[in-house]
Amino acid sequence: MNNVTLALDGAWKVLVTSLLLGAGLPIIFALGVRARAFAAGGDAEVDGGRPRPVGNVLALVCFVLVLLGIALGITIVVASGFGKAVSLQHVYPTIVSK
Amino acid sequence: MTTATVLLALVVVVALAFDFTNGFHDTGNAMATSIATGALQPKVAVTLAAVLNLVGAFLSVEVALTVTNAVINIQNSKGAPNPELVADGGYALLLIILAGLVGGIVWNVLTWLLGLPSSSSHALFGGLIGSAIAALGMSGVKWTGDGSKLDGVLGKVVLPAVASPVIAGLVAALGTWFIFRVIAGVAERFTDQGFRWGQIGSASLVSLAHGTNDAQKTMGVITLALIAAGQWTDTTSVPLWVKVSCAFAIALGTYVGGWRVIRTLGKGLVEISPPQGMAAESASAAVILTSSHLGFALSTTHVATGSILGSGVGKPGAHVRWHIAGRMVTAWVITLPAAGLVGAVMWYIGHLLGGLAGPVVVVLILMALSTFMWVRSRRQPINAGNVNDEWQPTVQAAEMERVS
Repeated sequence: MNNVTLALDGAWKVLVTSLLLGAGLPIIFALGVRARAFAAGGDAEVDGGRPRPVGNVLALVCFVLVLLGIALGITIVVASGFGKAVSLQHVYPTIVSK
Repeated sequence: MTTATVLLALVVVVALAFDFTNGFHDTGNAMATSIATGALQPKVAVTLAAVLNLVGAFLSVEVALTVTNAVINIQNSKGAPNPELVADGGYALLLIILAGLVGGIVWNVLTWLLGLPSSSSHALFGGLIGSAIAALGMSGVKWTGDGSKLDGVLGKVVLPAVASPVIAGLVAALGTWFIFRVIAGVAERFTDQGFRWGQIGSASLVSLAHGTNDAQKTMGVITLALIAAGQWTDTTSVPLWVKVSCAFAIALGTYVGGWRVIRTLGKGLVEISPPQGMAAESASAAVILTSSHLGFALSTTHVATGSILGSGVGKPGAHVRWHIAGRMVTAWVITLPAAGLVGAVMWYIGHLLGGLAGPVVVVLILMALSTFMWVRSRRQPINAGNVNDEWQPTVQAAEMERVS
């Protein structure tokens, strides 16, 4: 039954990380889209408010965050291919040997 | 040329054929949602996926030589084949691999014909398990591993198959639900435009991850065959030509595109909108990358299907066709035994005929079955032109019944 224990142990780690990256980043992206519509106003929104340019700044922040997340994802793929791993021990990602 | 050399050549060719089916069976995992929502033209989508699979296959320098060790006992932990199997130019081991690969291909092509996304890794493992049982008895199979890590059929195949679609589905459902909360009040035309890029980006990530994971498996199998035949000795690297040919085989398969599977994933399960597509692919990418980062084996197919279902569950008011999902789950459950059965039968045929005739007949049977199924597929062709047609449950179901 050891396999089952190990699988459950691994499963929740995958679940938590995937929720952060796999659901968190798209939500941030959605906020970016929302902010852009907020900035554009008019027919970008259902009730057509006036343009509020500050939305563009918020959108930029969101999209940069998402891009950083994607860059992290690609780094993980590439690094593991070369026998390295990306460690998040120091909060910011560092490439370490596996 | 000795018998074993011919057998080796057959194994290499059949392994590349498996790699090819692996590619076209799995195109949909990454691209089905982008094709269904029109974020990418079908041909553009498969080309992008093919290029990323090619890049992915080269990105990974880690040697997957011990890939068969997950489920069967034909090599040691370093990757060297078991000595008792390599006498006679490696004939015994090569026949096990050949029969296993044939089992995997036959199942891949059949499920493609039925438009069912099933796991290529499970098909390969199933085929190998079947041929190993036939050749070595039950002791040829590693059912549970030694308990120190997730291993064996239970730990590397069964448990991940149960857990990964559920996790991916949860992530995608939550992501979808929140996304629709966030974008409430934004005009649809505006969101669709925005999410188009999110979809392309996340789908690309899934393709890349697929290339790094799946091409490795065939590279490992071919290298194992070369070692068994005495044509290669290094257990720490893969010959360059193996790497190149596997990378191109999977990319070519991806480019050809398993349109039948793409259609089921993109149109059959749920009507996907761009925000859902992005949520689904992001969830897939996150689960695949996290799992491989933590060293867990899983099937891209199971994850992608779970994610797409989740994106249907998470969207308020969306309609999920659970009976299609049910068919898929059935296919997943029988993948391992079905491919195993084919693998075992192929091994017996090859073994009984023996010599050169055995493996040659096995390959001829493979060619005959594949051609037959391809001809059947022409009765109701699905291609880049009609992949996005409206999903009509009755017609589709009737067609599926007729083909099966």
